[in-house]
Amino acid sequence: MRRDTVVALIQRVMLVLLILYVVIPLLVPLLFSFSTLWMDIVPKGFTVRWYQRIFARPIYYQGLITSLIVAFSAVAVDVFICVPAAYAINRLRGPVGGFVQAAFKIFPLIFPPIVIGTGFVQAFNRPPFAWSGSLMLAVFAHATLGFPFMFRNVLAAFQTIDERTLSEAAASLGANLWQRFRYILIPNVIPGILAGSLLVFAISMGEFEVTTLIAGFGWKTMPLLLYRSLIDDIRTASAISGILLTTSILAFLGMSFISGRVGGGKLRMAGARE
Amino acid sequence: MRRFSHEWFFLIPITVFLGLFVFYPLTRIVFRSFTDNLTGHFTLQNYVNFFTQARYLGPLRNTLWFAGVCTLVGAVGGTFVGLLASRMSPKVRSILLSFYSLPMTLSSLVVAFAFIVLLGRSGVFNIILNRYFGLPRFDLYSWEGLIVTYSFYNIPLMTLTMASVFLNLDRSLIEAARNLGAKAWQVWIYIIIPVLAPGFVAGISIVLAGMLAAFGTALALTGMAKPLFALQIYSHASEGNYDISQASALAVVLIVVIVGSLVALNWIERQLRPGGGQ
Repeated sequence: MRRDTVVALIQRVMLVLLILYVVIPLLVPLLFSFSTLWMDIVPKGFTVRWYQRIFARPIYYQGLITSLIVAFSAVAVDVFICVPAAYAINRLRGPVGGFVQAAFKIFPLIFPPIVIGTGFVQAFNRPPFAWSGSLMLAVFAHATLGFPFMFRNVLAAFQTIDERTLSEAAASLGANLWQRFRYILIPNVIPGILAGSLLVFAISMGEFEVTTLIAGFGWKTMPLLLYRSLIDDIRTASAISGILLTTSILAFLGMSFISGRVGGGKLRMAGARE
Repeated sequence: MRRFSHEWFFLIPITVFLGLFVFYPLTRIVFRSFTDNLTGHFTLQNYVNFFTQARYLGPLRNTLWFAGVCTLVGAVGGTFVGLLASRMSPKVRSILLSFYSLPMTLSSLVVAFAFIVLLGRSGVFNIILNRYFGLPRFDLYSWEGLIVTYSFYNIPLMTLTMASVFLNLDRSLIEAARNLGAKAWQVWIYIIIPVLAPGFVAGISIVLAGMLAAFGTALALTGMAKPLFALQIYSHASEGNYDISQASALAVVLIVVIVGSLVALNWIERQLRPGGGQ
């Protein structure tokens, strides 16, 4: 065999191994959740029994509904605070804009979930903010964990469209601020908003660390249910994991699709999810 | 008078949000860390406890070790995969990097479950290792197990950073240096390391900060059996061992440790620049 062919072959094998390193830990739990029995190397039998069990018991499907409500609300909160902020920061030249960008980049690193959770537990258990155990508090907690990621994606979108020139052109044609936003800016930055939304959604759906600290008695999210079933009911755990995995993969496919459509758009997601 | 520009108006929502959900809770943490949990009087006891009791210093030592090893594994693995990725064709590279951005959106509990299925007591890989290679079973519920599991986050995270860092390394710069008569070690010291260092340090900062505060996957896999510092905070802040003042003092310590590590890494990176941090 020629040397080039050998090198190409080794590269091919390396690539497959590298991809398998990420794919196997995602695929095997999915297979597990659809198998009747898995005591050996290969699973036996196909079943959706474990998923049926989830949809048959109120605690589980209510957990799914709770998770979805929290995730959608957290996305809405982050869109509401980050889109105007990204617009303003993009326009503010000079030290303020640079400082805010650097601060938001470092924020998730020095205020990790355990710190946010410890703060939330004591900050919101007394008037005027007696929100302990409410679902709303979970929404704000998830929004707090997610906003740096939303902000970064939206800001990047504003930076790529040369917002000032567009706005000035629109303004010279008589468009007011609202019209500029509605017809010019939002349609142009919507890929950034969508990418940020999917990222915040995925973070919220899987969030465990802060949620477990602030959870009330009235509700449980999917990761909280997963934590409990990991200990005593591995089959239910497999179905919950399956649902959460599918959510993550769908969000990820959506983000890839958006960044592919926008072209060369790199997702701004690095920055310690943990 | 300068016209009040409308940009500031757009910063109101995020300012209110940050004030209420970041600044206020953090002030509460600092304030509470100096008060007695029951009486509410001012005290330094929570910090004295931290500095004198083995149940806090031990976990901090564990965490420093654990985070250090995890960062090292992530840095080596991520640099290796990143280097390979930078040599691939753009299309193949984007496929690989897409896959490597997946773990970041995953729940820490889903990852814990995945590794139980793969490497748990009757995990698929453990059966294969045992039956076909005659190797002893890998213990997922050990420090090594936690390192392997957390690497599933750290290696991909580092890969994404290093791939773009290697792509930014301008080969013509190296060739120019060579043509001007630079020796191999000079090329490394003056060209390659200074170009790679900022991205590399940024990458390991993210991994290290994450690992210093990590506890979700560890809690799901080993409960409180492997005492990490963040787990101590968790147990004090949650119902089980409720002492929110102590939890607050430990949280302040954790922030100081993280900021200290980031500053130290930043300082090292500046020393690596030509002219060494002047």
